[in-house]
Amino acid sequence: MKEELNAIRELIEDLNKISKNQLKSALKSLFAKIYNQIDIYIGDFPTFIEPVYLEDNVTIGDDVLLGPNVYIGANVVIGDYVELSNCVIFDDVHLGNNLKLDNCIISPKSSLDFENFKFSSTILSGKADSANKLKKMSF
Amino acid sequence: MQDNNEEEISRIKELESINLSSDKIRDSVVSTKKQIEKQNEQLAATINLTLKNHKIKSFDIVGAIGAGKTEIISQIVEKLGSKYRILVICGDITTRVDADRIEAHNAETVQINTGRECALNAYHIHQIIRNKDLEKYDLLFIENVGNLICPSDFILGTDKRIVVVSITEGEWVIEKHPMLFKMSDIAIINKIDLKDRLGTDINKMKEDAKRLNPNIKVLTTSAKTNLNIEKLISIMGL
Repeated sequence: MKEELNAIRELIEDLNKISKNQLKSALKSLFAKIYNQIDIYIGDFPTFIEPVYLEDNVTIGDDVLLGPNVYIGANVVIGDYVELSNCVIFDDVHLGNNLKLDNCIISPKSSLDFENFKFSSTILSGKADSANKLKKMSF
Repeated sequence: MQDNNEEEISRIKELESINLSSDKIRDSVVSTKKQIEKQNEQLAATINLTLKNHKIKSFDIVGAIGAGKTEIISQIVEKLGSKYRILVICGDITTRVDADRIEAHNAETVQINTGRECALNAYHIHQIIRNKDLEKYDLLFIENVGNLICPSDFILGTDKRIVVVSITEGEWVIEKHPMLFKMSDIAIINKIDLKDRLGTDINKMKEDAKRLNPNIKVLTTSAKTNLNIEKLISIMGL
């Protein structure tokens, strides 16, 4: 699984040079290998649809739905009412309240400091207080 | 003001009663509840159509904690595993204990941990089946979260719903939980091997189920001793 994550991390380093087909293929490989690790996190009881993999020190808000096929990196903070499916959230990401993401990748240290937004099949990167200000690339 | 309203809606949602809403927001709470029920029904219809298109037969198994749902499913998949390709979705507030037990009988499982929610809903099931290659399966079993109350609020789009009670729950358990028996196709009265020791009035249980739902098929089983599991499989049309 770590190998597949590294491949995705490398692919999204430069949004201008991404091969969408390579990215789709890398995500497919990751989701074929991802397994459930949900025992330790900070926060209330969310809903998990396996497989969901949580790294260390993940904070989860109220009424959150995670899964299936979700990887959450270390030190990620997830706001209330967030829903993630088929997503890769790299380390040190902050997600605002009521964000619904399907088939998305968020690059490390990104911060989505806004609420009430949906994304699908998109790479998201940067720190922003509105969706318009984020770096985005659909795939 | 908006924060106060949101807080109140959140509290009402948690307590699942519109009677607790103030008059100011009662209309919006009622309207939201109706919309959610309608959306669940629409999604369930979509799920059923999708499964039918893939020729997958599907069953939602409901019942209280300890009634024997997991053991019954384990016995069924043990007997049918060589004939059908089976997917089992297990709902629990936490752990994958049930999924692990069923997986030991060679069925593929997916665990849903609902956290604070006391029943699976159609959206949970939709999220799983849209991410699965449905060509790989012939049968879908869904083991709902263990209780006899909440699952009556949400249909899941399966062909049949099976309600399981055990005689350890007492002979009043069926008449005290009418909704699920009205909504189910098959009622299983399990742990019949304990009949002599417990003295439960099983005829009353059967009569209650039939009185609540004249069309329901009632069967006594012992998952532990395998009694009537073959008969159950036949009633399920498998």
